[in-house]
Amino acid sequence: MAAEPGLQELRELVAEFQPGRGHVLPALHKVQRTYGWVPRPAIEVIARQLNTTPALIYGAVTFYSDFRLHPPAKYEVAWCCGPACRLRGGEAIREALQEELGIGLDEQTPDHRFGLHVGQCNGTCHEAPQIWVNGRVRGNLTPESAREIIRSLRDGE
Amino acid sequence: MNARLQKLIDNAKAAWNAEQASGRVRIRVTLDTSSIARGAEETLARLHEAADSRKIDADVGITGSWGFCWMEPCVTVRSAAGTHAVLYGNVTPDRVDELIAAIAAGRDLPELALGVIEGNATPEIPLLEDHPFMKGQVRRLMANLGRIDPENIDHYLAHGGYEGFGKALEMEPEAIIKEVLDSGLGGRGGGGFPTGRKWDFLRNATASPRYLVCNADEGDPGAWVNRILLEGDPHLVIEGMLIAALASHADEGYIYIRYEYPLAFDRMQKAVAQAYERGLLGKDILGTGKNFDLIVFLGAGSYVCGEETGLINSIDSYRGMPRIKPPFPAQAGLWNKPTNVNNVESYANAPLILRHGARWWSSVSDVKEKGTKMFTFSGHVKQAGCIEIPFGPKVRTLLEQYAGGLSGDLPLKGFQPGGPLSGVLPASDIDLPLTLDPYRERGMFLGSGGVVFFDQSACIVDLCLFFLGFCEDESCGRCTTCHGGTQRAVEILRRIQAGGGRDADLENFERLIGTLVWSNCLHGQFAMTSIKTSLKTFRDEYEEHIVDKVCRAGVCKGLMPGRWARRAAAPVAAAAD
Repeated sequence: MAAEPGLQELRELVAEFQPGRGHVLPALHKVQRTYGWVPRPAIEVIARQLNTTPALIYGAVTFYSDFRLHPPAKYEVAWCCGPACRLRGGEAIREALQEELGIGLDEQTPDHRFGLHVGQCNGTCHEAPQIWVNGRVRGNLTPESAREIIRSLRDGE
Repeated sequence: MNARLQKLIDNAKAAWNAEQASGRVRIRVTLDTSSIARGAEETLARLHEAADSRKIDADVGITGSWGFCWMEPCVTVRSAAGTHAVLYGNVTPDRVDELIAAIAAGRDLPELALGVIEGNATPEIPLLEDHPFMKGQVRRLMANLGRIDPENIDHYLAHGGYEGFGKALEMEPEAIIKEVLDSGLGGRGGGGFPTGRKWDFLRNATASPRYLVCNADEGDPGAWVNRILLEGDPHLVIEGMLIAALASHADEGYIYIRYEYPLAFDRMQKAVAQAYERGLLGKDILGTGKNFDLIVFLGAGSYVCGEETGLINSIDSYRGMPRIKPPFPAQAGLWNKPTNVNNVESYANAPLILRHGARWWSSVSDVKEKGTKMFTFSGHVKQAGCIEIPFGPKVRTLLEQYAGGLSGDLPLKGFQPGGPLSGVLPASDIDLPLTLDPYRERGMFLGSGGVVFFDQSACIVDLCLFFLGFCEDESCGRCTTCHGGTQRAVEILRRIQAGGGRDADLENFERLIGTLVWSNCLHGQFAMTSIKTSLKTFRDEYEEHIVDKVCRAGVCKGLMPGRWARRAAAPVAAAAD
C-alpha cells in the first residue's frame, strides 16, 4: 500500500483552487493525477480549501466512476463494456480475464499487480472486443489472446 | 472584417502557402484515439526517424481523422512538387517500411492506397471521392479533418477559420440569431430543438453573468462523432462558442469533455491556449472591447452528466445529478445564472452558417432537418467508421455502403439508432430514413449519431440486459422510478436469461415502462425504451425465452440454444434444412 501524503503537501497541491468556481472536479483530478488515487486526507484538505464539507467531496468522489479511493494496481485492466464489444464476444473476454486473474470486476490481485474494472466505450469500436491496459487499447481479442496478454505481462517482470 | 483578425488570417495563409511551396514531400499521419489504438504513434515515430536519418526528404506531421477508423493508421503523402497527394490506409507499424521505401523511390504504394486526394487519378489509384465510403458524403464539419494539424491554430485560420466569427463581430446579436434560425440548425445531441431559439432565450435573460456550456460528454456507447471533431478540429467548436457568445451576451464558457477522451481534452486545452495567445479569447477580444473566457472542463465518468442539468451540476456543484426543471438553464443554470447548453456539433455548425450564410448551409438537405450530420457505426459490421452526410438517407445506406455490410454470415437482426436510451429496431425497419420524425413516432429517438447493427447471433433479451444494466449503473439515484425501476428490469431480464422466466414478466415490463416515464430526467424516462420497442417487434423471442426456455441465438446460458446458434455452429448443415 502506498504511503498517504502529508497534509502540508496536499494543501500546497490544491492551493490554486477556490470556492464557488467549479473547482471540485479539477482539484480531485489533480490529486489523482499526482498520486494515482485520492487518498483519504485529500478529501478533508479539498473540503477546507473549497470552503465546504468533506461529505460533499466524498459524495463527488463516489458518484463518479473514475476516482479511486485506493492505489491503482501496477497494471490496470479496463474491460470495455460497450455494445460493439459485447456483440463481438466481450462477455467471454471478461470471463477469461476474471478466471486468469482470479478476481472480479473492481478488484485487485492480492499482490496489487493487476486490477480489473469496467471501461466505458471510447469509440474505438473497430477494435472490438477490447481491453485497455493502463489506458492502451488491446483489441480484436479472443478469450485466449486476452489470457495471453495477462500472462505475458505477468512473466514480463 | 476586424483588422487584427484579418492580419491573423493573412499571416496564417502566408505561412501555409510557404509550407506548401517548401519543395519537400509532406507526410501527415492521422493521430487520434482510433488510430493510436491501431499503432499510429509508432507509425509516426518511424516516419520521423526515416526523415531525420535522411532516408526520405520529407516534412512529417499529424492530422485528424478521415473517418476510415477501421483502416487506421491513415497517412497522406503529398509529392515534393505539390501536384499529387495520396491517402493511404492500414499503415500499421509493420507496413510503414513499405511506405518509406516507396516515398524514397518517389513512387506511390497502390497496395495501401485509398485514393488520390490532390491531382489526377493514376492508372492504379482512383480519386478518393470515387471511393464507395466517400460517395454521398458532404464534408463540412469534417472539411479540415485529414488536412490540417489540429494542434496548430494557424492551419485553422488558413482554411477559413474564424471568418464566421469575424462576420459575427460586425453583426447585431439579433442578426446573428436570425441567421442561425434561418439556417434551421437543430440541436445535434438528439433533441433537434432550434439552436437559434436557445441562444435567444439566453440573450433575453436579465441576470448576469451568463454562461455557455458545450456538452462534449459523449457518453452513448458506440458513438464517437464528437470525439472525431474535438480531436481533429478543436477550433471549430471554439469559434462556434465565440459566435454564440456574441449572439447571447455570454461572459464565460465551459467545454465539458468526458474522462474517457483524454486526447480530446489535451487537444482542446492546447487550442484554447492558442486562441488566448492570439487574442481571440479573454478580455478585449481583438480590440473590440468584448470579453469571453473559455474553460475546458474534464468529467470523471458519469453518463447522466450528458443531461444538461446533470452537466451543470457536475461543474458548479458536486454530484452530477440532473436538476428538476423548471427553472430551465436559460433562467437558472450554472451558479443559478442564465446558461445555454449545446452539443459539440451544434456549436461547430455555427461558424459554417456565419461564414457561408444560412441559405448555403441549409441547401444541402431536402428533408425537414437541415444541414449535415455525423454518424458512427459499429457492431456486426465490416467497417466501423465515421461519416458526415446530409439528413435523409436510409439506415440501409449506412449499413451497406458506409459500414460495408455485415461482418458475419448471419442475416441482420436489427439496429440501435443512437445510444442505450434510443431503443432497438428490427431489420425490417432498415429502410427508415435518417431523420428525426420516424423515431419519435415510435416513441424513441434517433440520438446523437452512434448506430449499432447486430445480426442474428445477438439475443434481444441479452441486448436489453446490456442496455438496462447500463442505465441502472448510470442512474444518479434521485428518482425511485429510475434507480429502483432499472434494478427491477435487470433482475427480471437476468432471471429470464437463467431460465426462470415467468408468464407475468412481460406484463411487469409494461408496468415498469409506465412507471419509469415519471422520472425527473430523460435518463429515467427513456431507460425502458429498448425493452419497450423490442417488446413490439421481438415479442416472440421474449416468449420463447420465457415459455419454451429457448434462446435462439444461444447467448443465454441458462436456456437451450435455438436455430441461429445451430446455424452459427454449422452453417452448411443448417443452410440445408
